[in-house]
Amino acid sequence: MSALQKVIKLMLIEKKDIVIAICLGFIAGISSVGLFAASGYLISKAALIPPFYALIVLTSTVKLLGFVKAGAKYGERLYSHRATFTILSNLRVTFFEKLEPLVPHVFHKYRSGDLLGRVVGDVESLQNFFLRVFYPPIVLLLVFVSTIFFVSFYSLAIAVILLLGFLLTTIVIPALFSLRQVKINGRVRQERGDLSTEITEVMYGFRDLKLFQQLDTKQNQLLSQSETYINEQKQENINKVYSQSFNGFITFIVSWFVLAIGAYLVVNGTLEGIFLAMLVMISLTVFEPAAPMAVFPIYIQESRDASNRLYDVVDEPDIQPSETNISINHLPDVPPGLAFSDIRFTYKGEWRTTIPNLSLLLPAGSKTAIVGASGSGKSTLLQLILKMQQVEAGQVYWDQHDTLTVSGSAIWEQTKVVLQENHFFYGTIRDNLLLADPGLQDDQMNAVLASVQLENFSLDTRVSENGENLSGGEKQRLAIARALLKKGHLWLLDEPTSSLDAQTEQSIYQQIFNQADQDTLLLVSHRLQGLEQMDQIIVMNHGEIIESGSYQELMELEGYFYQMKTLEESLL
Amino acid sequence: MQNIKKTVWRHKRRIYFLVGLTLLLGLAIIVQAFLMTRIVDGVFLKNLSFSAVTSPILALFIILLIRALTDYMSKRIGVSIASDVKRDVRKDLLTKYAQQPVQLAEKGQTGKKVSMLLDGVDEMDSFYSQFIPQVMQSTFVPLLVMIVIFTQHINSGIILLVSAPFIPIFMIVIGIQTQKKSEEKLEKLASFSGAFLDTLQGLVTLKLFGRTKKQKDELEQSSLGFRDTTMDILKVAFTQSFALELISMISIGIVALELAIQLIIYESISFFTAFVILILVPEFFTSLKELGTTFHNGRSSMGAAKKVLQEFDEQDDSIQWGKNEMAQEEVPPTIQLNHLSFTYPTSDFKLHNMDATFLPKQKIAIVGASGSGKTTLLHLLAGMITPDEGAINVQQQDLVTFTEASWLNQLSYISQHPYIFSGTIGENIAMGTTAAVDEKAIREAAEKAGIAPLIESLENQYQTKIGEAGRGLSSGEKQRVSIARAFLKKPTIVLLDEPTRGLDLATEKILQQSIEQLNETATVITVAHRLHTIKTADQILFLENGQLQAVGTHSTLFDTLPAYREMVTIQRGGKQA
Ligand SMILES: Nc1ncnc2c1ncn2[C@@H]1O[C@H](COP(=O)(O)OP(=O)(O)OP(=O)(O)O)[C@@H](O)[C@H]1O
Ligand SMILES: Nc1ncnc2c1ncn2[C@@H]1O[C@H](COP(=O)(O)OP(=O)(O)OP(=O)(O)O)[C@@H](O)[C@H]1O
Ligand SMILES: [Mg+2]
Ligand SMILES: [Mg+2]
Repeated sequence: MSALQKVIKLMLIEKKDIVIAICLGFIAGISSVGLFAASGYLISKAALIPPFYALIVLTSTVKLLGFVKAGAKYGERLYSHRATFTILSNLRVTFFEKLEPLVPHVFHKYRSGDLLGRVVGDVESLQNFFLRVFYPPIVLLLVFVSTIFFVSFYSLAIAVILLLGFLLTTIVIPALFSLRQVKINGRVRQERGDLSTEITEVMYGFRDLKLFQQLDTKQNQLLSQSETYINEQKQENINKVYSQSFNGFITFIVSWFVLAIGAYLVVNGTLEGIFLAMLVMISLTVFEPAAPMAVFPIYIQESRDASNRLYDVVDEPDIQPSETNISINHLPDVPPGLAFSDIRFTYKGEWRTTIPNLSLLLPAGSKTAIVGASGSGKSTLLQLILKMQQVEAGQVYWDQHDTLTVSGSAIWEQTKVVLQENHFFYGTIRDNLLLADPGLQDDQMNAVLASVQLENFSLDTRVSENGENLSGGEKQRLAIARALLKKGHLWLLDEPTSSLDAQTEQSIYQQIFNQADQDTLLLVSHRLQGLEQMDQIIVMNHGEIIESGSYQELMELEGYFYQMKTLEESLL
Repeated sequence: MQNIKKTVWRHKRRIYFLVGLTLLLGLAIIVQAFLMTRIVDGVFLKNLSFSAVTSPILALFIILLIRALTDYMSKRIGVSIASDVKRDVRKDLLTKYAQQPVQLAEKGQTGKKVSMLLDGVDEMDSFYSQFIPQVMQSTFVPLLVMIVIFTQHINSGIILLVSAPFIPIFMIVIGIQTQKKSEEKLEKLASFSGAFLDTLQGLVTLKLFGRTKKQKDELEQSSLGFRDTTMDILKVAFTQSFALELISMISIGIVALELAIQLIIYESISFFTAFVILILVPEFFTSLKELGTTFHNGRSSMGAAKKVLQEFDEQDDSIQWGKNEMAQEEVPPTIQLNHLSFTYPTSDFKLHNMDATFLPKQKIAIVGASGSGKTTLLHLLAGMITPDEGAINVQQQDLVTFTEASWLNQLSYISQHPYIFSGTIGENIAMGTTAAVDEKAIREAAEKAGIAPLIESLENQYQTKIGEAGRGLSSGEKQRVSIARAFLKKPTIVLLDEPTRGLDLATEKILQQSIEQLNETATVITVAHRLHTIKTADQILFLENGQLQAVGTHSTLFDTLPAYREMVTIQRGGKQA
């Protein structure tokens, strides 16, 4: 199924509005043709000095048709636009829904500004698909068929001209333009996406760009990109104007033919003169909505591009989560035991294996620390537990369940996580804490803030995007507070205190360990101090466990851990 | 670029040209009506032969061609004016955003700004490309048509004159509503963008907290809100079209009836006149009605323009740098903090009255609990924010009397959360300096940052692609890539915010050595939590709640400052606990 077909399928949910819009469009179109026909006839008739009642009937028809037209047009517009914008809104939400399971993999291929561009710009441009591509031709066809049918009673020749004109302006010329369009292959959508991508990243990296004096270069780059985008846009708009004016001219020519042939027929005596004015008026009116048909190919291409750009992302085969049959959607509310058995893991698209082979046991209620060089795979291990990544071989067990059979949300429900880098949402401290549990009371939150020594913050303190107005350590403490407030019995802490001073760190660890007394806890740390109290210490290097045991055991072993410890002490 | 009028008048010549074209179009419309009538009248009533009407038929063809051409030309001019305006506005807006001080740049949501730059500017298009040409058409064409109708038949002219003024009145009333609404619409679109981007960045967090559903609902609400505002605008527009349609229908009907009565009862006009008027009257109303349609487009586009142009009014107290060039010497300048105070406008935090002197090539450590103001002090030193009171003196002069570039040239600042751009690792390191660098220099810098072995173990080495915000690297790896930036430049002042955060001890040791090396030619100011960095410093600045408690070496502080002593004991004593 092509992307555009998927869009159409989504559109058809708004069937009712669409049908109404088409019906009203038809009524409006036909009554406008009728209106002009009647007024043309009226004048001709009047010239022949008919009885007065005939005029009254005719003028009333004209007025009535006028009201009908105005009303129907109003309805058509209302329904078609309502349908369109509902469709667009649905499309955005569907896109987000489909995107959600693809995170974090999606970021391997797409940047956030790019995704933003797609969900806003491309979806927005699809409004033309409905408003200009999808239903107007249907309305046009209906109006034309009825008009031609009507005209054929008066003059077959003119009916044939109208038919030819119809074919020319709505089929032949748009087809010719679409041949041309294929060659032009507008890149407007693409350029807009690129610009959005770059602007977004420049904004994100603003501070570093400024500090390293790269802002001017970037700005010029953006400007030249904007230039390309505007030029593409301009090209496309001129194309539209050209196609439309050209087709407009053709419709004039058709009316011209109607007039010329009509005149000829009248002179000939095959057509009654009284109908000539009526037919001319009809041809002038009926073609009015046909002129935009020339732009049809441009909109089709634009819509195809836009819908492809949307579905390319969500259907991208490289980033789909692997299919598994999940049978467990809830895990018991008790501290779990975890086990890795002979797992192997490679990041998608990477050629080196991050974890070649690893087995590890974390008994329920145990406290484990992972230490090891930067880049040795500690965070990766946490990602595997959280099912943000999936093992290539081997199993990760949550108690007796292979996590392949457990849904991600079941696992997340049971874990309290502090990642190495935590995201904070634009809003207030309260908003960010409420993530942990929407039912939280203010005093609960205040108590937790105090326990991580953030008592100087009120719940209404504003948090900028990404927590930019918080200090490094405050962010970490806020993340810990959020974890403390969350339910669950597995703690996964990835260097939660790396930006904290020793004093604050100590008191916070105390808090965590108090609360986690019965729970299973996994802590990644670079500081070796304080690891004495852990049940088990895992030393990792290059994705492998090179040593493991209690603090005491490792010190006695005099291996890697012992050396690191000595190094640390020598530095103090 | 403060208001919309100005943006239009920049293109005066094209506007005049547009006026000329429109007049031509109006004439063509009138001639067309006369020609058509002559033909119909000729064969219908006057019983002329076909050859007698061939010349008007041919003339009509030419007139139609002229009509199509002028239409095309004037739309084209509209498009090109619109493109120029968009280019200018986007450029100005981008420049405005780029010149913002960092603090302001961090305010607000990225998605919103992106939306302003893209959607906001794009929305401005239809004002210039459609509205302006249409305004011209709707002014001149009806005027010409009306004059002609008056010359033909006064009564019809009067009917038009009476009904026509309703149209502009309607439009003005409704246009004002539309514009307000459309400012709101752009605002909604911008906040949708903001929310979407923020959600996207935080999606992992949302998943971990089981909040994706809720966030989805919020996005849906936001998206529906946007739809509703759009519909509100459109409803206004449709009602307006409806009303216009009715007015024009009624007038056309009245005119037609009037003509018929004159034709039959009084026989005071000819069929010719009647038919000309009948063709011209719809043209009269069509161009007014089209103004109605574009009017709403134009108005909503004006709303967007106003919103975008408002961004320029946003007051910004961007830092006023001076004009002096700082002498670029080998020896680092002496830096003095002179009663330095600073408050964030949005928080209660205050950095108080600091005094200190950093001699060339000293090693300075800034120490203090989390949130005590260490990063803030570095921001001040880097010139990213300006002191409220007091000053930073460099070479005995206030820092802000120098140019920003000449200060940044001397400086390398590795902030607490450096940003890694998508691109290759090499490019990311290379951005540390504005000078051209070769692979060798990048390699050396990477070595000093302790990241070279890792990079060189990768398939594409320095050409390895990484994602936005450094995706594909571990946190410690990102940290080291950003530190490598500092080693690439030969700065005389180095500001480091917890450079060894999240690094293992072995790597940390390499890094320490490289920083020592930097210190041979530069003053190094480091925010540090680790005792070993602190101990060897020439001066330690001990901060507490924004107050500079003491300045001194490790041994003096240890002896004189209980808080400092406590901190050290805890770091050492951790192992006894
Ligand atoms: N998303 C990713 N895609 C590809 N490779 C990755 C990705 N994330 C991490 N890596 C690589 O996998 C290796 C292990 O990374 P991981 O984040 O697990 O390290 P870590 O032990 O947590 O290191 P640190 O102490 O620096 O945080 C690193 O060499 C890193 O470059
Ligand atoms: N942009 C900002 N706007 C408003 N307040 C801010 C901003 N940046 C920091 N603050 C506040 O100023 C205070 C000092 O922050 P700063 O970043 O200087 O602390 P720090 O000493 O570097 O702490 P850490 O060790 O945790 O990084 C904090 O309370 C913080 O909330
Ligand atoms: Mg990590
Ligand atoms: Mg800081």
